Amino acid sequence: MKMKKWRADAQALLFLLPFLIVYGLFTIWPMFKGVEMTFYKWTLIRKMDFLGWDNYSKVLQDREVWEALGHSLIFVVLTTPTMLVLSISLALIANRKSVLQKFYRSIFFIPSVLSVAVASYLGLFVFQPYTGLVNSVLHLIHLLPGGTEIFWLTETRLAWIAITLITLWWTVGFNFILHLSAIQEIPDEIYEAARLDGAGDRQMFWRITLPYLAPITKTITMLQIIASFKVFMQIYIVTGGGPLDSTRPIIQLIYQTGFKSNDLGYAATMSYLLFVILLVLSALQYWMNNRKGAELS
Amino acid sequence: MKKRNTGFLALAFILSSSLVLGACGSNNNAGGAANGNTGSSPAPSADNSTGGNTGTEGSGEAVNLSFWTLFDGGDGDNMQKLVDEFNKSHPDIKVKNTKLVWAEYYTKLITAVGNGNGPDIGISHTSRLPDLINQGVVTDLDAVAGEAGVDWATFNQNLLDATVVDGKHYAVPIDTHPFIMYYNKKLLKEAGLLGDDGKPVLEQSADGLLAFLKTLKEKLPAKTTPFALSNSNDDPYRLWWALYSQLGGNDLVSDDLKKAEIDKAKGIQAAEYIQKLFTEGYIKKNDPDFYKNFQSGTAAIMMTGVWATGTWEATKGLEFGAMPIPKLFGQEATWGDSHTIILPLTKSEDPAKRKAALIFADYVAENGQIWAKAGHIPSKPSVLEKPEYKDMPYRSDYAAVAGTVKFNKPSTKNWQIRDNVSFKILNEVWANKMKPAEAMDKMEAGVQKELDK
Repeated sequence: MKMKKWRADAQALLFLLPFLIVYGLFTIWPMFKGVEMTFYKWTLIRKMDFLGWDNYSKVLQDREVWEALGHSLIFVVLTTPTMLVLSISLALIANRKSVLQKFYRSIFFIPSVLSVAVASYLGLFVFQPYTGLVNSVLHLIHLLPGGTEIFWLTETRLAWIAITLITLWWTVGFNFILHLSAIQEIPDEIYEAARLDGAGDRQMFWRITLPYLAPITKTITMLQIIASFKVFMQIYIVTGGGPLDSTRPIIQLIYQTGFKSNDLGYAATMSYLLFVILLVLSALQYWMNNRKGAELS
Repeated sequence: MKKRNTGFLALAFILSSSLVLGACGSNNNAGGAANGNTGSSPAPSADNSTGGNTGTEGSGEAVNLSFWTLFDGGDGDNMQKLVDEFNKSHPDIKVKNTKLVWAEYYTKLITAVGNGNGPDIGISHTSRLPDLINQGVVTDLDAVAGEAGVDWATFNQNLLDATVVDGKHYAVPIDTHPFIMYYNKKLLKEAGLLGDDGKPVLEQSADGLLAFLKTLKEKLPAKTTPFALSNSNDDPYRLWWALYSQLGGNDLVSDDLKKAEIDKAKGIQAAEYIQKLFTEGYIKKNDPDFYKNFQSGTAAIMMTGVWATGTWEATKGLEFGAMPIPKLFGQEATWGDSHTIILPLTKSEDPAKRKAALIFADYVAENGQIWAKAGHIPSKPSVLEKPEYKDMPYRSDYAAVAGTVKFNKPSTKNWQIRDNVSFKILNEVWANKMKPAEAMDKMEAGVQKELDK
């Protein structure tokens, strides 16, 4: 019997091998190579001088780094709660029995199939002054007096709003599907029983739907936080990190340091700083989930 | 259960870390609207004469050369034409042109040369050359230039000097693409500002340009933009550089390239002047597409690099003229850069290849009339006298600018200073969110920080 199990494992390994080799070579190995890089001045071409802990002490005191991390954090705070509310709302709308049900599902999900560049450029056109959709509509309904323009992309606060809206529109589809399937998993009997007991729609939402959605919502929250910390492309395309670096996220700074300023060692150090932060966040979330899980059962 | 949880944690660990690291590798194509080489025009298919043929002696096997370029659009077509013509007239040399994407070109070149897979011939901007020299990507050409029969005296000295670092030639300039002014003849006529010679009636002084713009604003319909200019990054920076240099400013770094050295009074004066153009409404605020604005005939004047000439030419119904940017202050000067041909470091450093490569470089410079189709000014004054060049309209109106281009000093940090400091801080001035004096202080600190990196 043992022999059989061993053979099954070996067979499985054989099938996994092609992926493992590629994954190891291009993902795992570079992770360790990256640690080595943090100890050197390392250009695009080659390893230069050994620096010891210099990059680390520099990164802790570098205002640009902490500002960029702050901007990534702003993005997380802006997009995560709004994403959850939007995703659940859309799921509720799409779950209602109506002739438009299929239509809703498609239009809520369609933006997710776009690539980041396409979504961002669309957003860029929508928020552009003079010719953009948003300003044109505001002019049309006379909310914005003629001859004036809102410069969505060059005022820091407005730029954050624009980036958040673009991101929500583009990425809500996937979370919406997760929430929708979770809603459909809730047994109808529970609602029936609640209705017999005289519960209203609102009560049913707060007391039944939302608690049943809790597990998937937790997962989405964690994925969303991690994904939001890694934001780069849409901001890079929409504002380029401006005005005056006020929307530049940490990944953009890492990219610029590594590939524009030609300092891969320092860029790697920043990457590991972000890595540690994400790791702590994940561990924290995991620990909180586990504790709550234990209490319930 | 316990086991599954640790597995999940490990998975989360690996996923999050690989995503973080993966994200740094994503590249981008998001450049500004005008990153210097977007000028595109359908390449005329008419055949050009082969031009001066640099004699190549010897026979036998053809020398194969790989050539990496960053040109697209009209530039890309013109360079391909030059390569084809060269291959036709030089049977013993075969140049193969590989077009790379502009935004990724330098990163690819540097890494490829670093691991020994670089091309035999490459392109560099003059302003980027010191960085490439410093990184050991390019080789000096003094020895091989003699062998290949390149006569440095046939080049425009201003362009050539900018490519000489520490007394050595590192590149063969093939053009300069300075910042110039274009004007819409129809609109200028409407405003009564077009002379009988087809040139603007414009007094060459700081007040002269302001008065000119004021008249344009008053006489032309409100929908018309007097002056089409980007509100951020390249073009307003180039204008600032031009005016700063006209005032006598000499780059932002000291001669020994170690210290930030900004002539602040001059920098402030130039920035204040440009800021006024924005705040007084001569330039459309946050214009989403200033190229289109001029191209569609709704802007009276515009300033950008000469590469736009080819684009305007190909635009139906656009009656335009080109001229050097006016001399507003003490001396003639403008922003400009050059495309140069370089010989990257290769594994073999094969002398035959290097010689053939330089023959090619000289050929490209010598046949600048083909390259000038996109609007660039050829690097050899003799080309300006060729009938093929003279027959092309507009170009001769601004060819003299080549002598007054103010190049960067050979700092290895030119591009970082521009991208990380000058653009960003000056953008705030154009948006009227920062005072020019404060901007100069910030720029000085920023430049110093880049130099210290």
